[in-house]
Amino acid sequence: MQRTHKKQHHEFIRRGPGAKAFDAANWLFMLLMCAIFLYPLLNMLSISMSNQFAVLRADVTFYPKGLDLSSYKLIFENKDIWNSIMNSLFVALVGCLCSLLLTSLAAYPLAFGDFYGKKLFNFLILFTMWFNSGIIPIFLTIRQLGLHNSLWALIINAMLTAYNVVIVRSYFQSVPISIVESARMDGANDFLILFRLILPLSKPVLATVSLWIIVGHWNDYLHPMLFLANRSKYTLQLVLKELVLNAEASIHNISVTGDATTSGAAALGQQVRNGVLVVSMIPMVILYPFVQRFFISGVMLGSVKG
Amino acid sequence: MQKQTILNSPLERKRVGLRIWRNRYIYLMILPVVIYLVLLKYMPMWFLRSAFYDYKLLQGFDSKFVGFSNFTRLFNNPNLLRYIGNTLKLNLSALLILFPAPIIFAMLLGQLRSARYRKTVQTISYLPHFVSTVVLVSMITTLISPSIGSLAALAKSLGRTPVNYLSSPEYFVPINVISGFWQAVGWESVIYVAALAGIDPEMYEAARIDGANRWAQAIYITLPSLATTIILLLIMRVGRMLDINFEKVYLLQNNLNLAASEMLPTFVYKTGIEGRKWGYATAAGLFNSVISVVLVIGANYVSRRYSETSLF
Repeated sequence: MQRTHKKQHHEFIRRGPGAKAFDAANWLFMLLMCAIFLYPLLNMLSISMSNQFAVLRADVTFYPKGLDLSSYKLIFENKDIWNSIMNSLFVALVGCLCSLLLTSLAAYPLAFGDFYGKKLFNFLILFTMWFNSGIIPIFLTIRQLGLHNSLWALIINAMLTAYNVVIVRSYFQSVPISIVESARMDGANDFLILFRLILPLSKPVLATVSLWIIVGHWNDYLHPMLFLANRSKYTLQLVLKELVLNAEASIHNISVTGDATTSGAAALGQQVRNGVLVVSMIPMVILYPFVQRFFISGVMLGSVKG
Repeated sequence: MQKQTILNSPLERKRVGLRIWRNRYIYLMILPVVIYLVLLKYMPMWFLRSAFYDYKLLQGFDSKFVGFSNFTRLFNNPNLLRYIGNTLKLNLSALLILFPAPIIFAMLLGQLRSARYRKTVQTISYLPHFVSTVVLVSMITTLISPSIGSLAALAKSLGRTPVNYLSSPEYFVPINVISGFWQAVGWESVIYVAALAGIDPEMYEAARIDGANRWAQAIYITLPSLATTIILLLIMRVGRMLDINFEKVYLLQNNLNLAASEMLPTFVYKTGIEGRKWGYATAAGLFNSVISVVLVIGANYVSRRYSETSLF
């Protein structure tokens, strides 16, 4: 502690005017970057809470103008949106549990097993990392399995990824094999060892992978678009896309013709649309402190492998 | 050689049997995983066969076998080169701008004197990474909308007429790259920030004593220390030259910017899921997958050769 303090002091004395100017410029640059990172998000939030005339004049920037929360009332009364939120929550949470289970079942034998076929098993998993069959074969497979237009299609399709297995396996391996061996000596079977010994010791990696899966499901658009046909099954991102982007094209056209009455409706539409986007990000905001911590530790786990 | 002969002895067979028996729970454990892999990962590969059929959903592989005609049709498609060209254009621009950006960002972060300010900037810079593609594209369309967008307001205040960027093909790549910068620069700097933290501070100390200013330190200490990480990530990035963010390209696409925004994956989606030409779409997708695999393996080979680091 003492030492670093001294060092900083030393540095401070040596800073010339050029260095000071650089520091100031860097400080300002980073402030500007933060503004850039935050602006689209704040703009979205502000539009959703602003008076429609201000929205129409493109007057709304960092903060709401003429506070008007009626768009949120409309959103919370909309059954489609609620239904899709429930669907997304179901997929994210159940998907996360199923995925953790299957990933652990794949990772444990790779970490502690010594069995015939281990190399083949490892290859079967890793091969899926290099070769992706593409969206059409996956679509056909899901149909073949009778999962088309079911939320389970999303859960099952994303249950196992080679990358997650590799990450979880290498974390499992930080448990000394001698502990596993002695548990086996004591007559514990491998399931017992996995669930009672290894998993409780691997909470950090399980948290990381869980968050990956939850965020992945919550934000996924491609797979719901591929697998779901029925409106009642739609996940939030599908509803968002419909509400926000399909209407967007017509708004562009409205502005070209400059039709005042329709653009009034369009402005209210804008508030609602941005409001839905804000609502869709609430779970991310709640999870953000954890997400940030565990995602970064995940990047580190990945870079160890690389 | 000797082992081979021993394996046939009854004693050895018993040992093998014992080993299998001892691992019965392990086999029970991998059983669901193997079933999963076969059904969800290897069955799609089996369905790649549909590239050789005039595949109909109801008939399955009873559909008409057409040999390579889906592939000849693909290679005779006059637009194929344009699709690949569009992908390369997008990825090259991304490589030029988005690859160095996180390195510079991480180095500048490292120069911030206040640790608390640095942490705050980092936290804010990661936020865009967690925004879904649908939300991202919605924000883009709002911001650059000629009627209510902030960019249009800015243009008007400067006395210019707002442009409808999304309907002009020439803006497709810039929109992609700028939004990609917004979404990825903070997040992708994580790995460089970690690499920077691993540099021995005494090197800087020594350089300072020798009179090196911060610019010289950055050039002669920081960059060389990051070199391995940079080269590895660069090679991997080149290996993914034909990959695109399907969701983003698809959602930003409209009939007016199609000249720049149509790429193989979006073509596959439209031909198959929307156009129901399953065989043709599978052939196009297979072509894309094969090129991607070749590029990744090539990149990995180069990386193993020159930096002794490889992904596999």
